[in-house]
Amino acid sequence: MLDKMMKSKLFGWIDERTGAEAIIKSQLTEYEVPKNLNYMWNFGSLALLVLVLQIVTGIFLAMYYKPSAALTYGGYTIAFDSVERIMRDVNFGWLLRYMHAVGASAFFVVVYMHIGRGLYYGSFKGPRELLWIIGVVILLIMQGAAFFGYLLPWGQMSFWGATVITNLFGALPVIGEFIQQLLMGGFAVGDPTLNRFFSLHYLFPLLLAAIVGGHVHALHVVHSNNPTGLDVHEGKSTIPFHPYYTVKDAFGVGVFLTIYTYIVFFNPQMGGYFIEVDNYVPANNLQTPAHIAPVWYLTPWYTILRSFESKLLGVLMMGASLAILFVLPFLDRSKVRSARYRPVYKQMVFLFFITVVVLGYCGHSAPTPTLKLIGQLATTYYFAFFLLLPLVNKFEKTKPLPEEI
Amino acid sequence: MTDQADQSRRNFLYVAAGGMGAVAAGAAVVPFLGSMLPAADTLAASKTEFEVSTVEAGQLVVIQWQGKPVFVVNRTQEYLAQVDGHDDMLKDANSEAIEAVSAAWMDTPEKRKYRSIKPEYLIVVASCTHLGCIPLFKPTKGRKDWGDSVPENWPGGWHCPCHGSLYDISARVINGSPAPHNLHLMPYKYLSDTKVLIG
Ligand code: HEM
Ligand code: FES
Repeated sequence: MLDKMMKSKLFGWIDERTGAEAIIKSQLTEYEVPKNLNYMWNFGSLALLVLVLQIVTGIFLAMYYKPSAALTYGGYTIAFDSVERIMRDVNFGWLLRYMHAVGASAFFVVVYMHIGRGLYYGSFKGPRELLWIIGVVILLIMQGAAFFGYLLPWGQMSFWGATVITNLFGALPVIGEFIQQLLMGGFAVGDPTLNRFFSLHYLFPLLLAAIVGGHVHALHVVHSNNPTGLDVHEGKSTIPFHPYYTVKDAFGVGVFLTIYTYIVFFNPQMGGYFIEVDNYVPANNLQTPAHIAPVWYLTPWYTILRSFESKLLGVLMMGASLAILFVLPFLDRSKVRSARYRPVYKQMVFLFFITVVVLGYCGHSAPTPTLKLIGQLATTYYFAFFLLLPLVNKFEKTKPLPEEI
Repeated sequence: MTDQADQSRRNFLYVAAGGMGAVAAGAAVVPFLGSMLPAADTLAASKTEFEVSTVEAGQLVVIQWQGKPVFVVNRTQEYLAQVDGHDDMLKDANSEAIEAVSAAWMDTPEKRKYRSIKPEYLIVVASCTHLGCIPLFKPTKGRKDWGDSVPENWPGGWHCPCHGSLYDISARVINGSPAPHNLHLMPYKYLSDTKVLIG
């Protein structure tokens, strides 16, 4: 179909003025992709889909949402009431909000799978270092966007989550207090905070869209890695992206949407994991809920924070746990990319995945001495995984690589 | 020859022009960042009056100052007695570590211990010095009323629900808490026998 369209007169007219044909060829029909990609390679296109979903549902929510902490006659706040109005009175408002709130969690599920794929198959290694680094920037901006968005409904979890995180920045020496005031616009989380968070919540996803453009461009320069991690030779071990992978990605989209819509329609709060129950209680700045925890996708980092007695150290280590992702490509010195052929790395990386899940579990639960100890052990391994990498390839006996995929 | 002279002049101009541009861009950041700092009316709303006699003996109320929560506790003789005898459990028994936990009127060891102008009325910022949650008031000694949310030798005070920081009945932080400091004091003075001006 695409080739028929490309032969039409209209297309010819456009092509003369935009170079569309060359773009379509170089990016789709003649863009070569390894022929052996498995389903772990679907999560990139899914992430793009969810980003678009978030932007579209967000823009429509913003037509009704009001970022104000001023009190209403009912004794709640304008922001809280406007979200409830979206849920009850706005046509399809409930659908938009559930799509957006579930979409935020889905975004992180998809992106964490995407990152895990990169770790397992060594996609972060040369020549894809910069592609990986842009990806880490995307992760940070996503976390920022979700954090800003979570304040908007102005529930108890919104308020106290924002209080804890803005205080985190306050712990930094010298500049901490300044940054904290920039974030809060006052001496505590309040109306000015809500306004600026809404502004930034609008900005960050648009930034993401631009950076994702850079991510895809960088990908198309260095091309996709593949499950064997071998360098591929064009023609022999590759196939064009279109139609082969457009179809495979479309199939992935179908599977994803089936699960996503099921959750949106039948279980949008996911038992308090996607929308926390306490967030239906309006924000009260004079009372902290008995147990506060961030939404699931931030809990691993929250556990790292809690694992240290010293506040400054906790904050720094949490920062380090994300920053260390930037230098990963330079820590791992093995010439072999894929964990398939790296018996030691394979076990390390599986243990790392389990560790992150354990960290997430600890961060979601109320603190007890046992969980604290488990969290500390998991934190130790989290860092050990990265710091051991430069040593591993000194003794690891890699399996023989196949000639060609 | 002339070619070379031209080059170095040009380079100088590039650097000079680029440098000026960078300075201008840096200066332009000031109003943008500055606009994000607390606005004049937010700063102005920084004094609060409160009648402490409205707090019953043994009770705690939470009031607001600068949008921050503030504890006002009416400490009974029994609670005041709980201030003694656990200095070894405290990170900063005399409230000297940083300015925010100290005050000009703390001129006697007694006042350093009670951390208030009038011993019975403790007035402190209610934000946990760890990450800003409001600690729960658990004033009585021991575990009888609180179960294992507090240690066995609990002297009475506050327990923060967020990450488990503990404070004694003078809001001094107990060893092993993630919170680094005692709860902060804010400037306040008595306008009359029972009326305080906070801020
Ligand atoms: C990176 C993409 C995005 C993520 C991860 C994200 C995440 C979130 C989250 C977690 C919430 C709180 C949901 C709740 O509990 O109700 C939220 C709310 C909101 N977001 Fe986004 N968002 C994104 C993009 C956008 C965009 C582009 C807009 C457009 C302005 C937007 C507008 C809103 C509005 C108006 C709300 C408040 C209504 C509500 O709470 O449902 N979002 N967002
Ligand atoms: S905020 Fe109180 S212990 Fe962390």
